[in-house]
Amino acid sequence: MPDTLRHYLIIAVPLLIVMAVLPSVYSNHLLLFNFVIFFILAQGVNIIYGFTGYLPFGYVGFFGAGAYGFAIMVMHLNAPAPLAVLVGGAVAVVLGLILTPLLRLAGAYFSIANLAAALAVLHLVANPALEQITKGPYGVALNGTFNPTMAYAGGILILALTLGIVVYLKNSSFGLALQAVREDSFSASMSGVNVVKMRTVAWLASALVAGLAGGVFAWYVSVFYPDNVFSADFSIFAIVFALFGGVATISGPLIGVIILYGIYNLIGFTTPQYFQLIYGLLIMALVLFLPAGLVSLATRRGWYVP
Amino acid sequence: MIRKASIALAAALTLGTQAFAADAPAEIKIGTLYASSGRYASISMPVHSALKLWVEQKNAEGGVYVKAFDKKIPIKLVAYDDQSNTATAATLYNQLVTQDKVDMLVADSGSVLTAPAVTIARDHKMFLFDQTGTGASFFSKDNPYIALMADPVSTIWPKPVADFITHDGPGLGIKKVAILYSTNEFTGTQANAVRKFIKDSGAPIEIVYDQGIPTETTNYTVIINNILAKEPDAVIHLGYAPNDIAFLRNVQDVGAKFKMLFCIYPGLETELLEKNVGAKGLQHVFTYVPPQELEYPVNFGMKMSDFKKAWDAKYKDGKIEFGFNSVAGYTTALVLEKTLSVATSLDRMELRKAVFSLSGKLKTLDGTFALDEMGGQIGELTPLGQLELNEHGHIKFVSIYPHETATGKPVYPRP
Repeated sequence: MPDTLRHYLIIAVPLLIVMAVLPSVYSNHLLLFNFVIFFILAQGVNIIYGFTGYLPFGYVGFFGAGAYGFAIMVMHLNAPAPLAVLVGGAVAVVLGLILTPLLRLAGAYFSIANLAAALAVLHLVANPALEQITKGPYGVALNGTFNPTMAYAGGILILALTLGIVVYLKNSSFGLALQAVREDSFSASMSGVNVVKMRTVAWLASALVAGLAGGVFAWYVSVFYPDNVFSADFSIFAIVFALFGGVATISGPLIGVIILYGIYNLIGFTTPQYFQLIYGLLIMALVLFLPAGLVSLATRRGWYVP
Repeated sequence: MIRKASIALAAALTLGTQAFAADAPAEIKIGTLYASSGRYASISMPVHSALKLWVEQKNAEGGVYVKAFDKKIPIKLVAYDDQSNTATAATLYNQLVTQDKVDMLVADSGSVLTAPAVTIARDHKMFLFDQTGTGASFFSKDNPYIALMADPVSTIWPKPVADFITHDGPGLGIKKVAILYSTNEFTGTQANAVRKFIKDSGAPIEIVYDQGIPTETTNYTVIINNILAKEPDAVIHLGYAPNDIAFLRNVQDVGAKFKMLFCIYPGLETELLEKNVGAKGLQHVFTYVPPQELEYPVNFGMKMSDFKKAWDAKYKDGKIEFGFNSVAGYTTALVLEKTLSVATSLDRMELRKAVFSLSGKLKTLDGTFALDEMGGQIGELTPLGQLELNEHGHIKFVSIYPHETATGKPVYPRP
């Protein structure tokens, strides 16, 4: 069986089925929806960081842009929600294109510039002078499209698309070329890899999934402020989850979300007073003992991790 | 025949009473969130602590009277920590509704952490007791599942400030006004309201400076000089506490002498501002007068002095600030208690009906509880006051406007 098909069958399809079925057995649908959102965002970080080495501290900029792309389509054009979600994704891609020059930076410089770019987008959206378009800082209320069930289904579809992209990157020569660029862009270039094109495609794919996730998030929550959808927590969580599981794999970010976001909610529901302590210790342990993520426990032993 | 009917009626009543008592829950579950850390912790913890204080008080008395079951029932407060994270808050609100199945849903403090609750409450047709989320977008005619408990809705909150400028201002010589605000929902909406009230008044007041700046702004030196260049007679600065601290410090640094200077947080978080700006820096600054400075007459719950005593007894270490936000939390608690005492069932719409029936009648230490038709709080207005120094060099409030609650005259222009 080809690896691509095997990865679809053992990782993507079971996860999608489980996430599709869970709402019928567990009634906190918003918790499940947040899991779906973080699966998408962690994989989005995986696309850009795991395969190219760019750590996007301002990743939430795409998410927020997608949410506001959705909101503007609904508020001003009465667009149907699924179309507005697609436009949210497109808005994020356009933003990604505008920010493409950031890819000329490397390491911490890229991360900081990306964070600054996300803040710039936040302040643009929250600018009172744009109240007629974005509602500025006063918040958006999209009561007409409110439909949590359909939004959840939309989230599952976007997760399927995201997993499809990651499975493709993991198994294609394109993904291999990206990893070559990540390891040593100069050598990759010498070997005939179009470094700029490769990075740009990965960057835009990463932006697309975050924008779509933002759109579907806006569809689900329907009332939000710029601070809600541009919250740095989204970036931090997505990065931590991806790193915890292990990047440049299909399963790593998923494992990271299941364990860390699962523990996060478990502590939140039971012993919130110990939250910072338990979570902090967990992340410290990861940094000290498993810097390459949980999957490195297996890869160290020579086991293959998809 | 009559005898038989009487016996049947008595039997029915007995059975009915037994069924009624059996149906009464062992406890009334009130679900809420708080932020122990993060950006909103400073406003959330005093509010939540006041709610906890009320729960302990009532449970010590055997619970609250619940009309629906005609008896006192203890309260169980189900509270989760959202850590100022809105995505977490959304999940936890949903947990309260779908898993804990709380009887009453109370939002966390501030509009940003209330926003997720608005959608969830509406989705589950659950009435939301919005403590201090003043965002105008929450309140609409097609959303009957919300009411604001303890702060005036942002669109009317600054009315006393604007009214003072338009009514008393021209007599004092105020003709030119500068508005500087942080671009977030809370202060942005207040800026809009001030602008609208001034323009609609028809008073001979000109807005010569009107600028929104990012909430993260920490250096106002250039901005202050820009404002000075416009020579305004009054400056209205609308920002969060850190904005006010930075702004007032920079005003001192630059040596700017604004004839009238209004800021929000010297009134709402006085201790914090006095610690960071100094009493001298706050002298003559105009601000909102918090309820703890006014001692409103009450017809339900503790008076301010009693509440302060109860607060000091429970929170002896003084780590959680007593003030505007703690009063807001206690006010929410009083509305919850009064609602349970008049609602004939715990049905969502009956709770709503009960809350709205209190409008204009319930008088607490926070003033008169009054709602507009969409659930926005239009009572509990905070008067305009001015900060002066007492004989010990500490800050004291002088209520200026409206005249009915005034305790002194404005010092204008600022010496």
